Amino acid sequence: MRFLRSYLLPRLIQYVLVVFSGITAVFLIPRLAGQDPVLEMIAQIQVQGSTLDPTAVKSLTETLRELYGLKGTMFEQYLTMWKRVLHFDFGPSFFQFPTPVSDLLRIYLPWTLGLFLTSTVIAWLLGNIVGAIAGYFSHRSWSKALDTAIMFVRPIPHYIFGVLLLILFAYAWRIFPLGGLVFGRRVVFNLALVVAVLKHSFLPALTLVILGGAAWFQQMKLLVQNVKREDFVQYAQSGGIREKTLIFRYILPNAMLPQVTQLALQFGQAFSGTLIIEMVFSYPGMGLLLYRSVTRGDYNLVMGITVLSILTITTAVLLLDLLYPLLDPRIRHR
Amino acid sequence: MRQKSLIIVSLVLAVIFLASAAFAQLPAGLSRGETLIVDQLSRRVRIPGNFNLWSGWKTPDRGIQQLMLEPLWIVDYATGEVISALAAELPIYNSDFTQMTIKLREGIYWSDGVPITADDVVFTIDLHVRTPGLLYHGPMAEFVDKVYKTDDHTVVVELKGPNSRFHTHFLDRWGCLRIMPKHVFEKIEDPLAFEFNPPVSSGPYVLYDYDPAGFWTLWERREDWERTPTGILYGEPKPKYVLVRGFEGEEARILAQVRHELDMAQHTPEGLRAVLEKSNTVRAWRKEWPWVVNIDPCITGIMFNNMVEPYDNREVRWALVLAINIVDYMAIAFDLMAPVSPIHLPPVPAYREAFFEPLEGWLKEFELDLGNGEKFKPYDPEVPFKIAQAAKERGFPVPEDPEAIKELFGIGWWKYAPDVAEKLLKKNGFSRGEDGKWRLPDGSLWKVTIVSSPDPTHHHFRNATAVAEEWRKFGIDAEVLPTENYNTLVFNGEFEVTTQWPAAEPWGAGVDLSRTLDPWHSRSVVPIGETVAVGPGGAARWSNPELDKIIEKMEITDPFADIETTRLLGIEALKIVVKEMPTIPTYGYCGAVAWDEYYWTNYPGAENPYTQPYQHWPNFKYMLPFLEKAKK
Repeated sequence: MRFLRSYLLPRLIQYVLVVFSGITAVFLIPRLAGQDPVLEMIAQIQVQGSTLDPTAVKSLTETLRELYGLKGTMFEQYLTMWKRVLHFDFGPSFFQFPTPVSDLLRIYLPWTLGLFLTSTVIAWLLGNIVGAIAGYFSHRSWSKALDTAIMFVRPIPHYIFGVLLLILFAYAWRIFPLGGLVFGRRVVFNLALVVAVLKHSFLPALTLVILGGAAWFQQMKLLVQNVKREDFVQYAQSGGIREKTLIFRYILPNAMLPQVTQLALQFGQAFSGTLIIEMVFSYPGMGLLLYRSVTRGDYNLVMGITVLSILTITTAVLLLDLLYPLLDPRIRHR
Repeated sequence: MRQKSLIIVSLVLAVIFLASAAFAQLPAGLSRGETLIVDQLSRRVRIPGNFNLWSGWKTPDRGIQQLMLEPLWIVDYATGEVISALAAELPIYNSDFTQMTIKLREGIYWSDGVPITADDVVFTIDLHVRTPGLLYHGPMAEFVDKVYKTDDHTVVVELKGPNSRFHTHFLDRWGCLRIMPKHVFEKIEDPLAFEFNPPVSSGPYVLYDYDPAGFWTLWERREDWERTPTGILYGEPKPKYVLVRGFEGEEARILAQVRHELDMAQHTPEGLRAVLEKSNTVRAWRKEWPWVVNIDPCITGIMFNNMVEPYDNREVRWALVLAINIVDYMAIAFDLMAPVSPIHLPPVPAYREAFFEPLEGWLKEFELDLGNGEKFKPYDPEVPFKIAQAAKERGFPVPEDPEAIKELFGIGWWKYAPDVAEKLLKKNGFSRGEDGKWRLPDGSLWKVTIVSSPDPTHHHFRNATAVAEEWRKFGIDAEVLPTENYNTLVFNGEFEVTTQWPAAEPWGAGVDLSRTLDPWHSRSVVPIGETVAVGPGGAARWSNPELDKIIEKMEITDPFADIETTRLLGIEALKIVVKEMPTIPTYGYCGAVAWDEYYWTNYPGAENPYTQPYQHWPNFKYMLPFLEKAKK
């Protein structure tokens, strides 16, 4: 009962408040940015050479406002938005009218999740394992050499690194494709499909794993080095506890806590995708979808993607909060 | 030890496995030699399964407009022709333009074997009149009173009032109202939500396959291609398959073309240079410098908001023109590679003869009144030769023939005359401070904010950068404001100066300039804060009573039956626009197309422009019968 009142309930209230504020902000910000999605659409039509009479444009503008649900006051639109969000219906994409936002999410989300989640988990595992070992044996020469190499790799921007891999493995040494998947609409789940997906995902995933892994490595190495210097570790070492036990029972659990927190927060970013990676490798995903929706004032699509992101991050944080007592005896004790 | 060996063997096998398949990048079973692969201008298709381009923006350049659908009529700005496609001849108006008759070509069929008849045309127009939300509902509901057929190949459209340009809604120029297959759409309850998948073609190709992630669309030549306008007019399209590929980043596009995985592409100028450098089989529209397509039917430049002081003053606008050194400007904007234009038209072949050459005499004699009886002739026919000289100094191979130089760099532009600009400004109460910077008539510092697209590769951005530099040199505090809100600001008039298209794109063929001039009729001008209907040209919020009269005369002139009157009206209108200079045309849009001749040859280059050169224009289907397989 005490746990419920003093620990669970405040966090649940906080969860609801964060989701509410986040969604409200996402509703307001694009509208306050001053971009008119109807004009963006008309500009696109005009710039692409279609002839539209001035009189016809006026009626088209009115029609589009009606169809996009942009008639009425901001408050009325806000209420409509909440009705929709509660039903997980974000309405039509303006720029891809009349396609529902949910259809677009259904097309692009699996690609992003597949690449992002896989590469994030691999990067996290590799970075932490190698980082922990290098941190514990920080005085060894191989650890120092590895550290230097990672220091060189980590600051490279995703864009530059991606293009570098593309030039190396898709041009100089033509092992991998340049992007654009080569199976059609009649997808058959067989070995060829698996190979095609692997081929097309390999370079973008490698970019994310190497650069992401480098970051995890550096953080973990520092954390382990710090924990190693803590009194309780020194005491355990002097007490003759075996090295394996020392690492896995004492050092790693303490060093892992901030890494677990960060991993959970990173999952929330999956929904906004990996814009640069998608651009460089022509990989289908949410990053470009979100970017285009922001630049064209496609409020509904922005809302759809960001609501998913908000829900994921806040849910991940809530779950972490609830799991922490299991991971950290100090919290349990409190 | 065994574990280590196992890991190493597994890794080696994985690499061999991944590298095993040939990287032709084609769906299974397709021969590369039979397939033309082209780049998609608008990048990736967002809704891969939707081909209903009547209901909104559906990435028409994925092949829908270039391969799948034929329009009634289409312009070709390279040849200057207006081509009748589904129609057998050009539209026929009655004497007071309240009725338009469409004669359809006989012997043409949809790809599912159903004949294309007057029923399809009547159905298309009628459905658009009745259905808000369809892209062309506006004009159809606005103008159409009745539509009916008189026989299987003749359609009569009765209009609510006189309208000599009603046909332009069906005249393809990167978009128009294309004819729907009645037998498909009549069964559909909601034409907005209908995906039209699989689609039925009136053009020479049918959908074969597409990428569910939106990166490519594959089209197969129809077995009965001879029953399409393309087949009838030009013969068999040579590639059996056309693959339209979208790239999000330029690097992959360049690499694909160098790897012979992309036959036709449009790059940035920098990308084009990279491809030409890296591949010995890739060529551009011109085989030599400046390579780029300089006959695009679109003019770039600078737009003033004519409702904002001091840009509501013609003499101030002219002063700003004369403050530009166009040679330096072109070096900044486009590395001297584009043709300049002193008038509000792009220098396409059809217009050179119809407008540019006839206007040259008038341009040379045109004068500005500087006050105190002083006159100044601002036109400079030497500009192309000055640009050629600057290009020579940069080491570019420039031809010696004066006509070739004019073809490359335009017929002329306006003089760089900062002294005259100064006189015009001082005449209007402007002054220079001791710091050399210009002050407005009220004594405050003259600051110009140039609103522009944020895309640094776009001509809007290039123009903005160049003009800001030129005006700063002249002593005006000019800065560029690149913003994503660019379109909204421009449409609503919330800007002083922008690099929106200085004039609406003309047809690029024929002599009808109504498309360019209409946005400047006084009926289209709205106050700041209200949205203009047409952004290009129209956002300048400028009109002129004399021009109104010319536009109204044009409206009662048949552009097909009375070509000479139409042309002369166009010339008079252009003179007014030049005199008033509500926007500054600078140079013709240039497309950096690159064609790989590894698999296909005989592209429509500058030496043989048998059709327009872009793979994303709807005329692309008329290029395909002329392509030839490369002899290896």
